[in-house]
Amino acid sequence: MTKVIIAGSKDYLHVAIDVMHKHDVIHITDFVDEDEDFKIGKPHESITKLSERAVYLRSIASSLRIKGKEDIPNKYPEGAIIETIDAKTEQLDVEVSQVTDRISETESKIKNIKDKKRLLEPLKSFDLPLEQYRGYQSLAVFVGTLKGLPTINDITNNYELETAPYGRGQVISLFVPREFEDEILKRLQEQGYAALPLPQGEGIPKDMLVDLEAQLTELQSEKQKSEGDLDDLRKKHIEYILASDEYLSIETQKAEAPLRFASTKNTFIVEGWTPTKDLGSIESDLDGTTKGHVIVAVDTSEAVDVEKVPIALKNPMPSKPLEVLVRAFSLPKYNEIDPTKLMTFMYPALFGLMLGDVGYGLLVIALGLLVSRVIKSQGMRDLAKIGVYAGLSSVIFGFIFNEFFGVEPFGHRGLLTFIVYPAVPRLDNVLTLLIVTLVIGLLMLTLGYVLGFINEYRQHGLKHAVFAKVSWLMMLWGGTIAVALVLPAMSSGTGIQLSLGLIAGLVLLVVGFIFMFMGEGAIGIAELPSLLSNVLSYTRLLSIGVSSMGIALAVNKLSDALFFSKGGIFVIFGVLLLIAGHAINTVLGILDSGLQALRLHYVEFFTKFYSGGGMKYIPFGFERKYTEEK
Amino acid sequence: MVDPMGAGLVAIASAIAVGATGIAAAMGEQMIGSAAIGVMAEDEGFFGKGLVMTVIPESIVIFGLVVALILLFVTLPALG
Repeated sequence: MTKVIIAGSKDYLHVAIDVMHKHDVIHITDFVDEDEDFKIGKPHESITKLSERAVYLRSIASSLRIKGKEDIPNKYPEGAIIETIDAKTEQLDVEVSQVTDRISETESKIKNIKDKKRLLEPLKSFDLPLEQYRGYQSLAVFVGTLKGLPTINDITNNYELETAPYGRGQVISLFVPREFEDEILKRLQEQGYAALPLPQGEGIPKDMLVDLEAQLTELQSEKQKSEGDLDDLRKKHIEYILASDEYLSIETQKAEAPLRFASTKNTFIVEGWTPTKDLGSIESDLDGTTKGHVIVAVDTSEAVDVEKVPIALKNPMPSKPLEVLVRAFSLPKYNEIDPTKLMTFMYPALFGLMLGDVGYGLLVIALGLLVSRVIKSQGMRDLAKIGVYAGLSSVIFGFIFNEFFGVEPFGHRGLLTFIVYPAVPRLDNVLTLLIVTLVIGLLMLTLGYVLGFINEYRQHGLKHAVFAKVSWLMMLWGGTIAVALVLPAMSSGTGIQLSLGLIAGLVLLVVGFIFMFMGEGAIGIAELPSLLSNVLSYTRLLSIGVSSMGIALAVNKLSDALFFSKGGIFVIFGVLLLIAGHAINTVLGILDSGLQALRLHYVEFFTKFYSGGGMKYIPFGFERKYTEEK
Repeated sequence: MVDPMGAGLVAIASAIAVGATGIAAAMGEQMIGSAAIGVMAEDEGFFGKGLVMTVIPESIVIFGLVVALILLFVTLPALG
């Protein structure tokens, strides 16, 4: 990264912005400290118009249900948009709103009819025309629902009642002389009467319902047709809408750019960073297009704050997917070692050590390949590629451990007895493998401290690096030597021999402790136990492997004991149990091994050398998806 | 000949080693996990750090598992 200052006459501001945007390499540092001479720049006057157009266009896009993530076969030439955008957007708006208006009109009609249907529904068992329910001088009419049948004989015998079952109760229509109205209402209310509103219109409810149903079908097919029209419009214009939306986003970005610049009355100044390899081309291009009115100056001063340098990770192709794991932790600072390349080997190795099984490994590879083909999200694709690496490593360790879905495939105990090679079955070698995992831990921590030494040396000099990192390294190895010599003697009860090795170990331990105390003070003592737990933490490489193998073994034994041994139809159940059990174990294996391998990096390894906190490199430009530059 | 009583006690001991540490790890992760989710709701960028913090207590159960493995594969054979 090189720090650049681009300055020039305001007359060439927008030419310069166009050039910078096209090159897409300058990470602009926003100008914030305004004073009397330097002000924050003003956006281009086109910004209002651009925003208006964008709002207009996006409302059309949302009525056409265009989300802005669709794929289109061909890119749209930008030149064709610039000339026609206003006229075409207006015409599009007319076309689309004609259809959407028609749809909302139909929808409101449909709603009206449904309301009416809902009101008529309870009355459909009564043959009385609707108009005869109202307009009486001497009669009171009750139409409503009731829990049971009304009992009004004790009030009057002079009434006309119709009832029909409705829901959990009854619907009634009751005609009584006006003078009994109040008394009857009171009686009905005691029985849970709820009046039903009568819909407008004339005719027998049953016939009206048939009529409404026909209208509804017609309206719904009308709505469907309009929606078809909308789909046609969408198909016809989607490319244009996506392209012009992108065009507007780009233009807005350019118009707003001066807000990030410093400006005086007649000049503008941009401060930013660019990858050193891109410096030459943007410099000559700016010089050419502005005839020397805009200059690029390189700031080589040493006093650059490393925290403010934007970070773009640079790794060879095979390591690229692993960047997602480093970014998830934190981007490295400018003078920090980027651990991506190391992780390319170490992450799959740790994963494979845990899920060391040929069968599961092949499944993981297959899943990884499938996901990287099918899913479009870049992050998921990267994870899938890491999965392929991890699966390969699982297959390799599967051969070493001689495991295939929990069964031994080779050797004299295995399925294929004629292939014999020196495999290391995990259950037979627990103690050996436990020591191997501890050694792996020791080596990874050592590597971590060495990298940490380099980082510290670059950032704070040799003395600090020795106190902060070499001290821990000495304690790690001194402690290891001491434990390795003392522990076997203690467990066998032969007594501890004060050998030269032991003395060397103890000296390393003590000197390391003194260095650490000088470098970090008393707070370092609190960190001491973590040294032991960090190393022991690597034993998970074995424990998780053995437990995943245990589940596989259990699935195999269960399906054999419960089903296969019985034969006949039970074989099918046995196969089902095998598939389900191993599927679950694969998912568990991927999740657990994946997370634990990651944790061994993040918690045990990274903490020795890596603090991260770098700022992401975001160049000023746009990744075009729908448009072609003019 | 393995003493069945002794072998049973070793099996129980390893079960306790895994079971008790499992409970302890779960209690720790429960607290850290919910706090981590809370932070992530504010800022998705904390996913990596949150994940790391959440799996830190997992070490406890791993140590339990190692103890159990040593009991089952080293101590138990030594008995017989």
